[in-house]
Amino acid sequence: MIRLENIWKTYEMGDQKLHALREINEEIRTGEHIALIGPSGSGKSTLLNIIGCLDQPSQGSYSFDDTEIAHRTPQELADIRLHELGFIFQAFHLVPRLTALENVTLPMLFAGIPKAERLERAKSVLASIGLEPWFDHRPAELSGGQKQRVAIARATVMNPRVLLADEPTGNLDSDSGAQVLELLNERNRQGITLITVTHDPNVARQAHRVLVLRDGSIVRHIEGTHLQSLSELFTGFDSMDSPSD
Amino acid sequence: MLGSDVLQFSATALLQHRRRTLLSLTGVVIGVTAVIFLTGLAEGARRYVFDQFSSLGSNIIIVIPGKTETSGAMPGVGSAPNDLTLNDTLALQRELTGVRTVIPVAAGNDTISFGERRRQVVVLGTTHEFLKARDLTLAHGSFLPKAAMDRGSQVIVIGDTVSRELFLGQDPVGQVLRMGGRRMRVIGVMAKEGERMGQDIDDMVFAPVSTVMQLFNRSTLFRIMVEQHAYTDQEYTKARIISVLRERHGDEEDVTLITQDAVLDSLGGILRALSLGLAGIGAISIAVAGIGIMNVMLVSVSERRAEVGLLKAMGATRRQILAIFLAEAAMLSTAGGVIGLGFGWLLLQILRIIYPVLPAATPLWAVVSVIALAVCTGPLFGVIPAWRASRLDPVLALQRK
Repeated sequence: MIRLENIWKTYEMGDQKLHALREINEEIRTGEHIALIGPSGSGKSTLLNIIGCLDQPSQGSYSFDDTEIAHRTPQELADIRLHELGFIFQAFHLVPRLTALENVTLPMLFAGIPKAERLERAKSVLASIGLEPWFDHRPAELSGGQKQRVAIARATVMNPRVLLADEPTGNLDSDSGAQVLELLNERNRQGITLITVTHDPNVARQAHRVLVLRDGSIVRHIEGTHLQSLSELFTGFDSMDSPSD
Repeated sequence: MLGSDVLQFSATALLQHRRRTLLSLTGVVIGVTAVIFLTGLAEGARRYVFDQFSSLGSNIIIVIPGKTETSGAMPGVGSAPNDLTLNDTLALQRELTGVRTVIPVAAGNDTISFGERRRQVVVLGTTHEFLKARDLTLAHGSFLPKAAMDRGSQVIVIGDTVSRELFLGQDPVGQVLRMGGRRMRVIGVMAKEGERMGQDIDDMVFAPVSTVMQLFNRSTLFRIMVEQHAYTDQEYTKARIISVLRERHGDEEDVTLITQDAVLDSLGGILRALSLGLAGIGAISIAVAGIGIMNVMLVSVSERRAEVGLLKAMGATRRQILAIFLAEAAMLSTAGGVIGLGFGWLLLQILRIIYPVLPAATPLWAVVSVIALAVCTGPLFGVIPAWRASRLDPVLALQRK
């Protein structure tokens, strides 16, 4: 469903050209769980943003369901993000002044869904992940794990076909992280394609395939039994991480 | 995204920063209050002046000897080549149609005395019709008798001040006073009227026109008043008056016609300019308040970069982001407008209690335009911040700081 052909992302800084992505060729099938790993600055998030239609490649072709995305209008891209994609961020990005319930209704607001239906759907999604008692709590009153679960509810309330998660467990303790991970895996088992950027070997290990990025290129594909030996790779990344990360 | 949803979402953002919201409202509140109050004040002045001049009566046309270029100004008496006479009055009575009455007015200054007391007064010579035409009231006794214009009897009607100063509480009716060597019998006393068009009615006396003309040894009138029926076209009557008098005055147009409308037009023009000037000053302050709103909106947009990035990631279009921020600005300025309207109204009520003679009230045009201005100010000055928000790159906006 997602096809990336010869994708480049280049930033021009004065005379210098900085290649954030180089010659990415990849195909992601419906229902797959893909993990993007690599050291900081390797282009994982840039790739995720391009797949999420938040960013445009400088060169190459990206097609979603056999439709070329690269030359869509901002309006059409917004429509794809609204109906086909769901985002989950490391920093949760809940709107602080809105309650958990209101945060989950947000995407439906932009889809023009009437209020009664919005509330009903948001309640049912939140209730299904055990957040019923926290409907009317604001983000400041929720734990990190609860916030991320609200964010997942918000990302899935429009029934997207692809979930894009950027370090979904990065700000969570291991218990909350495990809960969030389980929730994401459950959504994946229900048929939603899941693409995760992660620094966490435990997260990556649960993917069907792991794409290793370095300097903007996919340098390795890991799948099947090889996934068990991932930890060594991450040790390598950590020592390469820039201090600003 | 439904309109009501946009408003609701924007309202949550405004309510989150109550103090900032209130402060940015204040500018608009002050501007709108100023416009409402100042135009109310100017309108009060206009109405006050109009009330004064409306006593002329809308069906009255005053014929003044002499031709002036501008209506509304009083020409100098006696400068006319042909003065107005009683015969002119009679001719107008004869020739005009659609006219209720034609009243001659002669005027002069004289001293009247009763016993030892004397008083310098304005003497108006006219007919019994004058009372009704000028909408004056008699306190007691009767006004001038119905009689042919050229028949002068020795009777006099006195104003309220004259009555009190000369008769000191005695009933003047039936008493005889002296005026210019003549004995005049008082037949009536006017009710207290105050000033009308700059003349103190209370310090006047009224006598039959021919008596006054004889008294001052004059053959000419101060003016002629024509009262037409309400249904008669005023322009037609004016044309007829001119044509009748021109014929009598050797084909010369040597009179000036004054109507209430003409006087009020020129005065109204001045006062309207005053109103507009004051409204303009208020409008400028609203525009300044708009800059305040823009400032607050710019701060709000930069504070909420991550939120904007999130909304975009969730699928909000540029237009929806624009609408959200424009709605915030519009709500700010509209709320400021409504509160300012209330404050302005309150101030006017207080003014009316302090100065009851001034019928201060904001004219509808000012209310409508100031509210329209306030409502538009927000979106107008909010366009730049809202545009910035809608153009934010979601990737940059969402990046961790």
